Amino acid sequence: MAKTIQRSHLSKRYPGLSFVGVPHRPDCSEALRMTTVDCHVCGSDNVELLAVGEDFEYRTSPDSFLTVRCQDCGLVYMKHRPDMCELDRIYPVDYHAFNFSSKQFGFIYKVRRSLEAKRLLRACKGLGNDAKILDVGCGDGFHLNLLRDFGNKSWQVEGIDMSDHAVRAGREQGLTIHHGIVQTCELEQGSYDLALMIATIEHLDDPLTVLKSVKKLLKPGGRVVIVTDNTDTLDFKLFHQRHWGGYHFPRHWSLFSPATMRQLAVNVGMEVAELSTIVSPVNWVYSIRNFLDDWGAPTWLVNRFSLNSPVSLAIFTLFDNVHQWLGHGALLRVVLQNPGSPR
Amino acid sequence: MNIAKNSIAPVAIIGGGPAGLTAAWYLHRQKIPFILYEAGPKIAGLASSFHDTDGYTYDFGAHFINNRLAAAVGIGSQCRDVLYYGESVLIHGKTYGYPFGLMKSPRYVASALARRILPPSRQEMHQNAANWFRSSYGDLLANEVAIPLLEAWSGAPATELASAVGSKMQNTIPQTLKLRMASRLSRRAVGCGYSHEIPENPHVWHVYPEGGVGLLCQKLAEGIEQHIKLESPVQRIIVQDGRVVGVRCQDEEQPVSAVVSTAPANILSRLVEGTDILKPLGQLRYRPMVFVNLRLEGRNLLKDTVVWLPEGHFTSFRLTETPISMPWLAPEGKTLVTVDIGCEKGDRIWSMDDDALGELCIEELQEIIPDIKKRYRGCRVLRTPIAYPVYLNEYEEVRVKLAQSIGIDGLYPIGRNGEFSHALMEDVYWRTQHKMRQVIDYRNASQSRHHRSSAQFMH
Repeated sequence: MAKTIQRSHLSKRYPGLSFVGVPHRPDCSEALRMTTVDCHVCGSDNVELLAVGEDFEYRTSPDSFLTVRCQDCGLVYMKHRPDMCELDRIYPVDYHAFNFSSKQFGFIYKVRRSLEAKRLLRACKGLGNDAKILDVGCGDGFHLNLLRDFGNKSWQVEGIDMSDHAVRAGREQGLTIHHGIVQTCELEQGSYDLALMIATIEHLDDPLTVLKSVKKLLKPGGRVVIVTDNTDTLDFKLFHQRHWGGYHFPRHWSLFSPATMRQLAVNVGMEVAELSTIVSPVNWVYSIRNFLDDWGAPTWLVNRFSLNSPVSLAIFTLFDNVHQWLGHGALLRVVLQNPGSPR
Repeated sequence: MNIAKNSIAPVAIIGGGPAGLTAAWYLHRQKIPFILYEAGPKIAGLASSFHDTDGYTYDFGAHFINNRLAAAVGIGSQCRDVLYYGESVLIHGKTYGYPFGLMKSPRYVASALARRILPPSRQEMHQNAANWFRSSYGDLLANEVAIPLLEAWSGAPATELASAVGSKMQNTIPQTLKLRMASRLSRRAVGCGYSHEIPENPHVWHVYPEGGVGLLCQKLAEGIEQHIKLESPVQRIIVQDGRVVGVRCQDEEQPVSAVVSTAPANILSRLVEGTDILKPLGQLRYRPMVFVNLRLEGRNLLKDTVVWLPEGHFTSFRLTETPISMPWLAPEGKTLVTVDIGCEKGDRIWSMDDDALGELCIEELQEIIPDIKKRYRGCRVLRTPIAYPVYLNEYEEVRVKLAQSIGIDGLYPIGRNGEFSHALMEDVYWRTQHKMRQVIDYRNASQSRHHRSSAQFMH
């Protein structure tokens, strides 16, 4: 993230500067094509305004974005969001999910890898030797790699992602990755035992439709594990007016709480087999970073809060453990099950 | 006209300012057919800006929107942050920051505290605006500042104005303090008192769209140009059996399923044909206002962006140096001071020619900017007969009733003139969308009524 442009840089370099739009990279001065949407869970357009934000992390556009809460079902979503044709702009080549490697992130990569492996294997419990697993929105294949390295060697492990960069990066590691989206990609219906949607659902333009397609791919009794940012947390309460890390402007389009997740399950026609929260320091760290950056704090201080900073990640991991213990961990983990019994 | 047919007819929108265009944008998104009638040759109305070849931008007063509205409409990428905004009051030759500077004066504080200790009865407080201000601010501050300003602004004695003028006006002191602090720390002009509908917070600040607030209207009008009829004043709104059934424009009748009107309430009462129910709205009054924009050499000539003039020897009650907040509105090294003068249509001020108005202002403002004559480079005057609704006690009941319901099925007044309210820019946007949901519900209900009655007929 060395290339990011921070407000603090700008105000120091040009005191009293007034620029058009929000701070952005020099090559991203053109406005994004935007589209206005209604609630994807219940269809209502009655909203409560929550936040105005900008791309604090990657500075990919001069636009500002409005996030709202549906007055009818409580879903938090981006009301005016970038059009689908702008995905290459808002997921730049240096986007972390395309490059989460040990080379870039060293120690943090190793810690996260072992933590995630444990979580992942818990989700795979009870799968037979011939199990088929699909990682929806697999990015550069981080979780697929974990399954390959730590899971049962006879499992058939596949991923799907719509990003060229991600698919290329994953295939280079010898992983099976389909290019496209689940709604249109020709995958065998009713054939998968387990689907993973880890940090995926919040990025989708229409989570309901995608989840319905995933359901069709699953065998009877098959499960989908969803991990996503939790809006029923203290960090959300404190920072929801602008800087909350989970907004990840403008890339997180739908954000869930346990209640809205249950509603989504009802609308898809799946059962909630498990619903819990898990610990993550990321939203805490990025909420603080965004706040500091936005209000012009010195760069050295802003940089203390990032994915590259083991100290802040460690502190907020401990801190979020307290919230986890109270039932409000930073991430939601939901297991939805297809009706019918497994073979 | 055939009422049954009208339930599938388009909705008529009267007026192409921010409110009318928000209505149009919303209906378009919901795939409801509509026709927008604009009397003038272009959209935007009072939200328009005027530019001259010297690089000045003129607005009807200090215009800005906030980043929240900009994001909602999708023009965030075309707005500049306003980094500072402040208001002051000039009394006995001294400027006091508003509102906290005034609190530094022990006289005002003592008088305000006295009122807090011995509050008047609720009934007395709400009798008129003068009582309301004396009870809320203390006698001294009310008599020396609030009441003279209110009277100059509305053109009526404060004892004849409704207390509702004040009660909607401000945030609490802690809220104001919080927002001011946030403004200082974040170095942005955080809005304070600019949205009644949705709470303000430290992350909502003023922004100025490139070229003026009219950009908002252009954005809303994108893709619906073919449904906008310019130079098409609506002559009549036709009501049958208590329901709107059509409009007449250019002597042609158009069946409609509903009418959404931004027309000033008193004019609306004259437009409606087929019922007398809106007659009382005819007495509602709007304050005409003249804005004299003085082009001056130099910058930061006033102590603050807005300087209030409560003392009666000034013709104006408010001065605004917009380039203090929005430097891009005047060329470098130059500035614009806007002098607001309340008047009545046709009176001396209203009819005075531009140069004479400029001279009058220069003469008076020497007290505040001593070398203003040397700096003066001409002026540009904007006039509007409908700057603000005036809340007179004599028709307060009518106003309150209008705020609840217009009383004609299918007729929906919107915008600050249509609703006769002191709604602000962002309020208008969200209130109008809320009203449009009602319009759609009404339209759906009429349609199903129509289907039911035709089904009965078939049987």
